[in-house]
Amino acid sequence: MEIVYIAAAIILGSGALATGIGFALLGGKLLESSARQPEMAPQLQTKTFIMAGLLDAVPMIGVGIAMYLIFVVAG
Amino acid sequence: MTRSTKAIMRLPLLQWLVIEMAAVITLSLLWLFVSRLAGYSAFIGGLIFVIPNAYFAHRMYRYQGARQAPMMVGNMFRAEGVKLALTAVGFAAVFILMEPVHVPALLFTFAVMVVLGGALRFLIQPKRQL
Repeated sequence: MEIVYIAAAIILGSGALATGIGFALLGGKLLESSARQPEMAPQLQTKTFIMAGLLDAVPMIGVGIAMYLIFVVAG
Repeated sequence: MTRSTKAIMRLPLLQWLVIEMAAVITLSLLWLFVSRLAGYSAFIGGLIFVIPNAYFAHRMYRYQGARQAPMMVGNMFRAEGVKLALTAVGFAAVFILMEPVHVPALLFTFAVMVVLGGALRFLIQPKRQL
């Protein structure tokens, strides 16, 4: 049964790591672009928002599956 | 610099919310053909996506403009963290408190809503405030 917890931990950890890297790149580029072209900041924020929604789609599903493993399969 | 490029964006939050809720209700009605429990589980699965996502959109657009860029990015990180935490808490609460639960309906509706949410942000983008 411990293997299920390890699997859930790997899913959650990988998802958090990938989201962190993705958001760090996205936020860094947003800051850089806003500094270069301040008048474009609102449009850039919109593009960032759309990309953020796509970026966390797979980790969100991963969270759901990990919770299922923890509370239903192992529970 | 023209007025239109300086203008801040108006977030169609209500429009997104209405479309997402309509999709959740439609999917729940479709799952009702399987069983009443499946329809109920599908509705809960949709809500687990819609509520954290609405919070994320609200929090991300709290600050706008180039002067607020560091605050904007900081809020984006915090909003994402809270969104993931809310999703995890939502699933945990459903699996602990809701007995029995139709897991395929719950996860399928959630996955469909994740894909639909991304597509919706492409199709209905924030407009410039005049």
